[in-house]
Amino acid sequence: MLYCWTRFSGSADSCLKMKRSLGSKSSNNSSSSSNTKAKKKKTTSNQKTLGVAWGAASLSSSRSSFRSSPFSDFGSYMSEKNRKLHNQFDAEASTDFYGVSGSENLIFQGVSIFVDGFTVPSSQELRGYMLKYGGRFENYFSRRSVTHIICSNLPDSKIKNLRSFSRGLPVVKPTWILDSISAKRLLSWVPYQLDQLTDAQPKLSAFFAPKSHSVPEVVSTDMTCQPTSRFCDIRMNEAEVANLFRAAKFGEGREHENDETDGVYLEITTRERMDPAISGDRKSSELNSEELDYCGIEEKEVNSDFPSCSEHPPASTNISFCENDTNDDISTATTAVCSKRRHSTLEDPNFVENYFKSSRLHFIGTWRKRYRKRFHGSSDGLKSTDSGHNAVGSPKKTAFIHIDLDCFFVSVVIKNCPELQDKPVAVCHSDNPKGTAEISSANYPARAYGVKAGMFVRNAKDLCPQLIIVPYNFEAYEEVADHFYDILHKHCRKVQAISCDEAFLDVSDLDDVDPEILASMIRKEVFETTGCSASAGIGSTMLMARLATRTAKPAGQFHIPSDKVDEYLDQLPVDVLPGVGYVLKEKLKKHNIQTCSQLRLVSKDSLQKDFGMKTGEMLWSYSRGLDHRSVRTVQENKSIGADVNWGVRFRNQQDIQHFLQCLCKEVSLRLQGCEMLGRTFTLKIKKRRKDAAEPAKYMGCGDCDNLSRSITVPVATDDVEVLQRISKKLFGSFFLDVKEIRGVGLQVSKLESVDSSKRGSTRTLESYLSFVSAQTEQRVNSRAAKVGGSSDCERHVTADDTRVGESDRAESSIQTSEIHSFSENQASSVPPLCHLDMEVLESLPSEVVAELDQTYGGKLVGLIEKRRGKGKTKSNSSLVSLDDVKSANSLPSKMCSLSTHEEEECEEPRQGISSEPTIEMADLMPLSFSQVDISVLQELPEDLRAGLLGALPAHRKQHSPSDTPTMETEHDKEPVEVGEAQNEIGFSDKNLWIGNPPIWVEKFKVSSHHILKNVSEMYCKLVVQSRPKLSSILQHAIFSISSSYDSSANDLEEALYNVCELLRQYIKLKIEGDIEEIYLCFRLLKRLALRCQFFLQVYEIVSPFLQACIGENYGGNLNIS
Amino acid sequence: MPMSRNDDHQSSSGELAQTLVEFLEVAVSSIVFLKGVYPSEAFERQRYMNVVVQRARHPELRDYIHSATSGLLPFIQKDLVERVAVIFFNKDNIPIERFIFKLTINPSHETDAAQLEFSLRSFLIKLPFSKPLLKTLPLDCRWEVTAYLRSLPEVGSSKDAETWIPTDTKQWQKPPLITPIKSLDSDPLCLQLYLEHPSSS
Repeated sequence: MLYCWTRFSGSADSCLKMKRSLGSKSSNNSSSSSNTKAKKKKTTSNQKTLGVAWGAASLSSSRSSFRSSPFSDFGSYMSEKNRKLHNQFDAEASTDFYGVSGSENLIFQGVSIFVDGFTVPSSQELRGYMLKYGGRFENYFSRRSVTHIICSNLPDSKIKNLRSFSRGLPVVKPTWILDSISAKRLLSWVPYQLDQLTDAQPKLSAFFAPKSHSVPEVVSTDMTCQPTSRFCDIRMNEAEVANLFRAAKFGEGREHENDETDGVYLEITTRERMDPAISGDRKSSELNSEELDYCGIEEKEVNSDFPSCSEHPPASTNISFCENDTNDDISTATTAVCSKRRHSTLEDPNFVENYFKSSRLHFIGTWRKRYRKRFHGSSDGLKSTDSGHNAVGSPKKTAFIHIDLDCFFVSVVIKNCPELQDKPVAVCHSDNPKGTAEISSANYPARAYGVKAGMFVRNAKDLCPQLIIVPYNFEAYEEVADHFYDILHKHCRKVQAISCDEAFLDVSDLDDVDPEILASMIRKEVFETTGCSASAGIGSTMLMARLATRTAKPAGQFHIPSDKVDEYLDQLPVDVLPGVGYVLKEKLKKHNIQTCSQLRLVSKDSLQKDFGMKTGEMLWSYSRGLDHRSVRTVQENKSIGADVNWGVRFRNQQDIQHFLQCLCKEVSLRLQGCEMLGRTFTLKIKKRRKDAAEPAKYMGCGDCDNLSRSITVPVATDDVEVLQRISKKLFGSFFLDVKEIRGVGLQVSKLESVDSSKRGSTRTLESYLSFVSAQTEQRVNSRAAKVGGSSDCERHVTADDTRVGESDRAESSIQTSEIHSFSENQASSVPPLCHLDMEVLESLPSEVVAELDQTYGGKLVGLIEKRRGKGKTKSNSSLVSLDDVKSANSLPSKMCSLSTHEEEECEEPRQGISSEPTIEMADLMPLSFSQVDISVLQELPEDLRAGLLGALPAHRKQHSPSDTPTMETEHDKEPVEVGEAQNEIGFSDKNLWIGNPPIWVEKFKVSSHHILKNVSEMYCKLVVQSRPKLSSILQHAIFSISSSYDSSANDLEEALYNVCELLRQYIKLKIEGDIEEIYLCFRLLKRLALRCQFFLQVYEIVSPFLQACIGENYGGNLNIS
Repeated sequence: MPMSRNDDHQSSSGELAQTLVEFLEVAVSSIVFLKGVYPSEAFERQRYMNVVVQRARHPELRDYIHSATSGLLPFIQKDLVERVAVIFFNKDNIPIERFIFKLTINPSHETDAAQLEFSLRSFLIKLPFSKPLLKTLPLDCRWEVTAYLRSLPEVGSSKDAETWIPTDTKQWQKPPLITPIKSLDSDPLCLQLYLEHPSSS
């Protein structure tokens, strides 16, 4: 009975059974003597998991105790012990009980875990799982044999020194194993990384390739700032590479042999065989020296177990490694990289810049611009002939060639690596085999395995384990694309570029050339120049040409003569047609349409009825091979912008502001690059959907709500500062929690080219936005003067703001609810004043303001002041407004700018009122007096106030005093009660612990007593815990509450009462279920009482109540010693 | 969730009682160890719910604890048990210390086995830390497990009930001093573990 006794009975089946099988000697193959030894060791090993020092191999700790043992030193003892433990494990794994699982269940093959500390499930259970599912379990940590460290919690010291603790191995939560088992496959450990390392939102390791310019697009494993799976990944890569090259060298048979060996050992052997290669080749592989000092035991064991390995002289691996060096892109780079790049908006200050540097989509997007510049002249020619062609119309026989480079992104990268030509290769920015990076392109051998663009790397690796991932090489892409188009333009004047690797040629005019010969000529030339194969389709329309290419691929060409069109289309599935996506396909399927021939049976009218005019028309004509498009020049962009939807995580307002600035810079550069100016600016935000979990794709945006806002300014611009101001403003209008943002995009539309806008109006936007500069001061002044009088000025003065305002009035419920701080601007009761853009006013130089103020008779300053105050302290302002109400009681009520509030705080009587017929000014006036911000009213000059009040119906006025206008329904009512109820002290009948945060928190916050405030603040600080307990609040209070404080007697009495009431209610709440918490609270209270008179009094008041409660429920007294 | 437990999820209330009885057995063992009634060699380290606990090695002691706690099963299932006490007496048979498990079961709720285990484990962890609160035992002490039922069980209603006899344990004159050790206030099970000492005055 030396083994653990796991449970008294019952539920942990696996453990118990495991024990049984351990104990039965018949099932254990080892001799009895070794068995007893093993047992002895096993007990020590258990102790080890209970907390003996980390790293059993450290010699110093227990060397002395082994002097008399049969082992020469500790090291040999440990190695012997480890060997025995392994044997034991293998024996168990091979017993019937665990061996039943078929090979498909060996999901942990190659995984070897070490369990550190306390875990749920226990290390014993985990061991059982590893036994059952083909993994290994290490009792002692060893960098050689362990692949994953499993633990639920790490002490600070280990976190701080993670590198030396984990030795670069992934530190994973045990749920990884459980989830893998339930998923019946090995899941990526990345999402299961220990929380302490990842934080709530993953941000540590990053996946995409570091863009060091010297080594372009090096394949990155996920070994970044955090030393995570470095070793593991390297090893896998090595194994892969080694396998690959060995297969090349020694032929199929050899590889076959390897496949037969057990997965675990395969890994060991390859690694072992790599070692000499590495040591012989140190300069190329920057592997840590730690990896080189494999000591002998395991090697010997492996060798004896697998004699086949020793047959191979290390030289063979040397050769393979040297080969690696020649194609420096791939394998050596894999081992060499240790990136320090960080990949989220959180950590990388240059995130935006780097993001676009490594974005393929960005490359494709900007390529167009490059193309237009390069072939500007030739497309001009196209334009003229194009119009001519249109005029001539259809009678002429048309012929189009669609030409497309085969798997462009892959073939460009591997064109110089002949040995990779026949291997499955895919392009992706990350080579982490378990990562969620998306494959952007795969070559044909890879496609044969089912690898497709858009797939996660880990899924692709599942489909095709030998898949080689190569990084982007944007420079090479540009070069190839340029060559490609050079060739096209050489052969044909009418070229429509679709993308960097795809184009249409209109060869209708070239009567003397057979399109087929032309196509093959072009293909040949493309291949000779760029080394990449192209496919061409020839057809009578662009559609047919494109469809033909589909058949032609890869590296071929196909001609669909016009008489064969129907035949070709007949069996074509509908989703092959351009414009038919998944949704449309499903819709068509519901109509029982799956092929083009079926589609052709449907009349145009019914298609248009079912799918809409345009789509119906498109389907009708496409199914007949008709396509009225003609080859045009590259389309002008309708909008220019930049979106970032990956790696977007913000902590605070500063983060997002910085990010917006960078984004604006990027957009501005793009505008300038296209020589365009824009007038409409749209900010798009992806906001995490409320219940969305962390996305499957690492750092992806996941399930999001898409929000967007736009502003149109009168004069087009590409100025960075203007963009930044606008985007900041737009962002402000969203009122979002920055932590929820998963993606941000800025689009500029209503584009004008730079030249045309130069000729344009002289009333520049610059004057509107750069009012800060002294030069334009004059202009602003004059314009501001206009504001006073004419109403048409509003268009330019506050162009964007009034626009927002106008749209608001239309959809008032949505925006007014969100735009608090702008509220003064929107409800425009006094046109000139309210139409002023407060932000503009605020930014004006003080002299200008003073001048404007005179025009307004002193109203302006008040408004600005008010606005500033409001932003700062909400709760204060509510108190202020309370006073206002009181004064409003006696004095004639006043009104200033009106603020519409969203909350439906109109209680019963008021609802009746607001439903009464309103006067003509209703659209401008607030619906009820409750919506009037009294504090604003206060600020207005007498005459204005009187005017406004006159506009309000009389009965509204008389209701006004009682209907205290407040800013936030619940909280702001508190001060009222406190104020009113001063004579009856407090709020006894309410339950202070209801709500989240509990009611008392708000009450205490507004209390005048310093301790109460303090406690309330404490709660807010602790609110990170889901609902902080009172005991934890008190615990913090001990450190923060000073003893010296003594408040006025009046205050004290009320505060004392409130705290006692709080405690009493807490006792009632907890007495049944959690006397531990009560006990803790009162122990803490007692400690507080020693320091502070206030708490001593509280303690004395509440104690009897407590004891009575305890007595009632437990028949005793609480022992607060 | 561990796979083995997912299957148990259905039989919630029975499962809860079973787990509770198991837990009590371990907890009582731990308390007896903690009090040092027997030399520590009489116990061995074991793992239960993934924490280290002590279990009696002596078969009779083990059997006593086991029978005492497992005998509670039918009563717990019927929700009759209000408190389970481990009482230590001095040689005059006057109780000097009582460990009370006060339990309330809400059978209507689903039992989340893992959650329950997690909560119960904290009791086993907290228990050893109550040592400073304990009184040193006099010589010739004895101890017993007593259950307080909400109502008297029907005599002979089941065989299990026979192991239990009505007790004539002496009560303290004055209300005792209560020192809470650990509380669990969750939905199927509400469990308080506290110490009772005779009030000093």
